[in-house]
Amino acid sequence: MNYIPTSEKDQKEMLKQIGISSIDDLVKEFKPPFPRKLSLSKSMSEFDLTKHMKSLALRNRILKCFVGAGSYNHYIPSALNHLLMRGEFYTGYTPYQAEINQGILQTMYEFQSFICLLTGMDVANASLYEGASALAEAILMSSSYTGRNHVFVKNGLHPQYLEVLQTYCKGTDFEFTDKIDDKTACVIAQNPDFYGNVENLLQLSERAHKAGALFITCVVEPTSLAILEPPGNYGADIVVGEGQSFGIPLNFGGPYLGFFAVKDFLLKKIPGRISGMTTDSKGDKGFVLTFQAREQHIRRERATSNITTNEGLMALASTIYLALMGRTGLRDVAKLSYSRAHLLFKKLKGIGFEALNGKPFYNEFLMKAPKSPEKIISTLINNGIFGGLDLGKDTMLICCTEMNTIQDIENYISIVRGIT
Amino acid sequence: MKLIFEYEEQTTGYLPDEDIQIDLPKEIIRKELPLPNVSEISTVRHYINLSKKNFAVDVGFYPLGSCTMKYNPKINEDLARLEGLRDLHPLSPDDCVQGALQLMWELEQDLMEITGMDSFSLQPAAGAQGELLGIMITKAYFKQNNEKRTKILIPDSAHGTNPASAAMCRCETITIPSDSRGNMDIDKFKQSLTPDVGLVMLTNPNTLGLFEENILEISNLARNNGTLMYCDGANMNALLGITRPRDQGFDMIHLNLHKTFSTPHGGGGPGAGPLGVQSFLSDYLPTPRIIKQNNKYILDYNKRKSVGRIRSFNGNFSVLVRAYSYIKSWGTDIRKVSEHAVLNANYLLTLLKDVYELSFDRTCAHEFVLSSNKFGNRSAMNIAKRLLDYGFHPPTVYFPLIVREALMIEPTETESKETLDRFVMALRSIADEIKENPIVVKDAPHTTSIGRLDEVAAARRPNLRWVIPSRPGDENNRDLKFQKPDKQ
Repeated sequence: MNYIPTSEKDQKEMLKQIGISSIDDLVKEFKPPFPRKLSLSKSMSEFDLTKHMKSLALRNRILKCFVGAGSYNHYIPSALNHLLMRGEFYTGYTPYQAEINQGILQTMYEFQSFICLLTGMDVANASLYEGASALAEAILMSSSYTGRNHVFVKNGLHPQYLEVLQTYCKGTDFEFTDKIDDKTACVIAQNPDFYGNVENLLQLSERAHKAGALFITCVVEPTSLAILEPPGNYGADIVVGEGQSFGIPLNFGGPYLGFFAVKDFLLKKIPGRISGMTTDSKGDKGFVLTFQAREQHIRRERATSNITTNEGLMALASTIYLALMGRTGLRDVAKLSYSRAHLLFKKLKGIGFEALNGKPFYNEFLMKAPKSPEKIISTLINNGIFGGLDLGKDTMLICCTEMNTIQDIENYISIVRGIT
Repeated sequence: MKLIFEYEEQTTGYLPDEDIQIDLPKEIIRKELPLPNVSEISTVRHYINLSKKNFAVDVGFYPLGSCTMKYNPKINEDLARLEGLRDLHPLSPDDCVQGALQLMWELEQDLMEITGMDSFSLQPAAGAQGELLGIMITKAYFKQNNEKRTKILIPDSAHGTNPASAAMCRCETITIPSDSRGNMDIDKFKQSLTPDVGLVMLTNPNTLGLFEENILEISNLARNNGTLMYCDGANMNALLGITRPRDQGFDMIHLNLHKTFSTPHGGGGPGAGPLGVQSFLSDYLPTPRIIKQNNKYILDYNKRKSVGRIRSFNGNFSVLVRAYSYIKSWGTDIRKVSEHAVLNANYLLTLLKDVYELSFDRTCAHEFVLSSNKFGNRSAMNIAKRLLDYGFHPPTVYFPLIVREALMIEPTETESKETLDRFVMALRSIADEIKENPIVVKDAPHTTSIGRLDEVAAARRPNLRWVIPSRPGDENNRDLKFQKPDKQ
């Protein structure tokens, strides 16, 4: 393929205009010169490329998914992709020039609004990379706000999120402790937690606040917010999480969507872009990137974060998703996910699985299997079902969404029952 | 335009209608979900109309310096949406995702060949995260070797992300000035290269669009000092197949796949910022690594000296798919991309340098920086806004910080001579306007749907979200602080 529009005739004229005879004259300063052709595969036509990519895709198996753990298989309305594929949306970049980017700036404002409405917070940014690094940014922010460096993480945080936090904090002065005291910068709790447990965290947030620490809630399955108390109502100062559930495909893990919302007193410490409503010279309503003095291109080493490229297009996808689904549709997603998970849970209990969640759950739950989880999972996979995660000690983490039909659940049970 | 929250109530019903009772304790159940219900037709029109109020590469010329806004081939959108690549759970067993792992493994191989590095991690979500990872690895490496090196040398032309990433790792940044040819000042560099310097971070070509002429000397000096060399690969679009960062003496490089390898990132992302390193640093890369064993691809979680995970799962996979297919479509001809990027930039420079000032009169790489300083204070902003009337996205303005009234122009290789000529005409005619009819430039833009926006007011009276119109007795409405009267 060749995506360069310059004809040979034009190329000659351009070289002449510059006053040289070949492009080599322009790049001879780039040293040391690479002496051969790059050893890549031969250039492919669109025809061949499509064939090649389809053959790679066929080497993957699409399974019926009963696993969540930070990545949730939800229904995406058809209209979403039609809108997302508008070249005016997807081939732009950060809206530095507000006058010609009102469209994306307004969708950013709408995204921020949706996140605030769902989480019960005052201000949200226009996206971070994904849930785990968003949580890491929340720690950095807490430390910068409180001047403290101890971090308390409640049990039940997604293990990969914990790993990311440790990576971000390694080599700095942060310490993970099991005490909440006058050194604690923040208290972190995932809700629903990694094992699916749901609880009201009011007591924990009060403990955090009493110690002068910030309380951070991490929401990894945000469809839960359609039926669960928003974290803002139980004392969260910062709510971060993963927005993938809102209209973003599984994508083998990315791109996803980090969201970041705070109470208003933390506004000036937020990392990332923010769109704000203002007026133009004629007094007409419009939107601009605002509070840019927090950001790296202005503040450099004193910026609130190094983030630049974010997940703008994913934020747009979830804005459109939330608009299409609406209040009623999002509640349907949550109710169906809840109901399917509880149906499977009940049926598994009926065939000898033991409940391990000490608390109520939403759409994900932990069970002790009566047989080897390894065998259960591999048998299910042989039948085209990704049936759960083996968490060791005979336990399995299982998830349902509205995508798992009652028939799928019946099949799941009958396959597991057949294992000897 | 209305906000999505301001439409008539209507539900669509995308999911089966079932009567479901939620049996959860009262104290965790939500009382109210204040989202709108909008009909599908209203939603579609709302976002189609918003899309029309955007400038993008598909709409016109977008020479935003340092951002490499090149054409995004359409086929890559279809390929990234193939079910067999899109609908994969990231925790699927390796056996079920051999195609995806093969794609990632091959992409790593291609990036290694392009940069000369020995291994890559595809995990970082963007350039800034790749950079952060590079600094973390530097710290881990010196810790392993029992050396205390906390300083990072960064030229004053660098992207703001470089010092910001350094600060996130609690490293001290020493800024090195540029010399009269736009290179890093070699004498100042030598003076600053003390035994406690762990890393030199360079963008090459730098943000002035100039290839660092002393790169081999710099990397030699660094090596002899035991200091590592980091390349901010944001400007790799100038170098494909022409010279390799490894051969210039770099130990690490991140690539911005969304720039050089043309993956779309509308609205600000997503990107991908894979990090490549020389073999002595390979063990520090994040886990999991993809390895090939007996023709099978597996994710290897063996930690060795790894700094750990920098994000969840496997990186921005669908961005990787697009970059992979972009590289496959060019294959061995990929050098042409950079040749034409450099040709286009030098063509524009040649036709503009008599009207605008060029701070460093050298052959440029894939971009160049003009100054409009002679047209006065704020002239770069005014020129940028006037360009909107001519139908162009303006260049990056006021960056790099070391050029006054900077206009940073990066045409990319996917623009025709005809487009470039029209852009030259526009910039030359604006220069005339400044002399003959300055007010038309100062008050620009005149043709956009909205005029210059009041940024001061935006920051002083922040309105950052839609607020539920207050109803009597609504105690949840505690966000009035951000509400300001809307003059609709």
